[in-house]
Amino acid sequence: MKRLLIQFALLATVFFGTLFLLRQVNWLSVLKIEKATKSLDENLGKTFWKLYSETEQEIKDHSITAAIDSLVETLCDDNAIDKTNIKIHILNKDEVNAFTLPNNYLVIYTGLIKACDNEAELLGVLGHEIAHMEKNHVMKKLVKEIGLSVLISMSSGGSGEAIKEAAKVLSSTAYDRDLEREADLASVEYLLKSNIDPEPFANFLFKLSENEDDLPEQAFWISTHPESRERAENIIAYIKGKTIKKNKILTPKQWVELKKEIVD
Amino acid sequence: MGNFGFDFPCIGQLDLDYLQTYMTLKNKFSYEPGEHEAEKASNSYLMSLIAIIAGLPLPIVNLLATLIFYLSNRKATYFVRWHCTQALVSQFPLLIMNSFGFWWTISILFGDDKISSNYIAYIFTIILVNVFEFVATIYTAVKTRNGHHVQWWFYGPLTNLICKP
Repeated sequence: MKRLLIQFALLATVFFGTLFLLRQVNWLSVLKIEKATKSLDENLGKTFWKLYSETEQEIKDHSITAAIDSLVETLCDDNAIDKTNIKIHILNKDEVNAFTLPNNYLVIYTGLIKACDNEAELLGVLGHEIAHMEKNHVMKKLVKEIGLSVLISMSSGGSGEAIKEAAKVLSSTAYDRDLEREADLASVEYLLKSNIDPEPFANFLFKLSENEDDLPEQAFWISTHPESRERAENIIAYIKGKTIKKNKILTPKQWVELKKEIVD
Repeated sequence: MGNFGFDFPCIGQLDLDYLQTYMTLKNKFSYEPGEHEAEKASNSYLMSLIAIIAGLPLPIVNLLATLIFYLSNRKATYFVRWHCTQALVSQFPLLIMNSFGFWWTISILFGDDKISSNYIAYIFTIILVNVFEFVATIYTAVKTRNGHHVQWWFYGPLTNLICKP
């Protein structure tokens, strides 16, 4: 029995000793994994964005982009997020939708801005999408839905049809329920740190869920983000008892002008 | 009862010659196994090899294969039972190590974990252990097929405790 225990101890020592020695190596750097991951993200982001930029009309009006920039910048600054990594693109489309692409592309449809009654509602949705970026949900969703091998082939100029399908997955299907909830609550945290009231974000979800039966077909963001009522309730429960300030980033006049520019 | 020393060499230096040096025959089994027994005992190791190839990356398959083989040979001769038991018990630590690596990989692909140097070091370690065990299993299967009794480090004495004549 003693011999058995000694042999077990020696085997365990060999195993953990090998593990300990191998852990001393920075494998991410040796195997160039960080570089490869970054390059995969960059290539996929460029490929998907090229597809959208070729088929949709991008809004480049300074008054609109500056207003959206200042909203995103405030959220990022207050939450230690590097805004320079985020590439914001506003597309002229009536769908109520916003989504993220790999390599931190944030795509916002004008339909979403039109559907928001105040900046806090829009900030809630933007925070939700930024949370997907920050928590690497985008690549996780793509790997799960499409597979890593297909993604790698796409990043090096794979088939056009596959790229279209993958782009569709990103813009018109929901993330896992857990990831959605995580992004909602992260967005609420972002808003709280920026002294923005998160309640309008919950109201936005309520508002759209109440009309779910007669939702316009364009209301993609809500139809692709199911259980919106439950999500709204989660947000309300989460902020209950918290001290909430109700600051604004844009002046009322700037918000009205943004909405007017979008409608025009 | 035969007793064959099997000192684990440094994993990086693993090769068959090394194994042959270290898995030296010291004594014979308590009786001379017959041709049919040697074949069955050797098959218990081959089962785990076939299952490793067929079951990758699911870590449970090779354990199940050796377990089924073990159960179907419960009433076989002592030599056969002894080697079926050694083949089976040697799969348990592998199952634990490989399962941990399997679920870690799943959590990286679909969960919140990120690929890290620790993860790669662990995967390399279990690959080394698996390769080592794979080669040792082939060596033991060949030796057992020839009627030799090969007792592994740790697993051999453990089998002696579990498997009685």
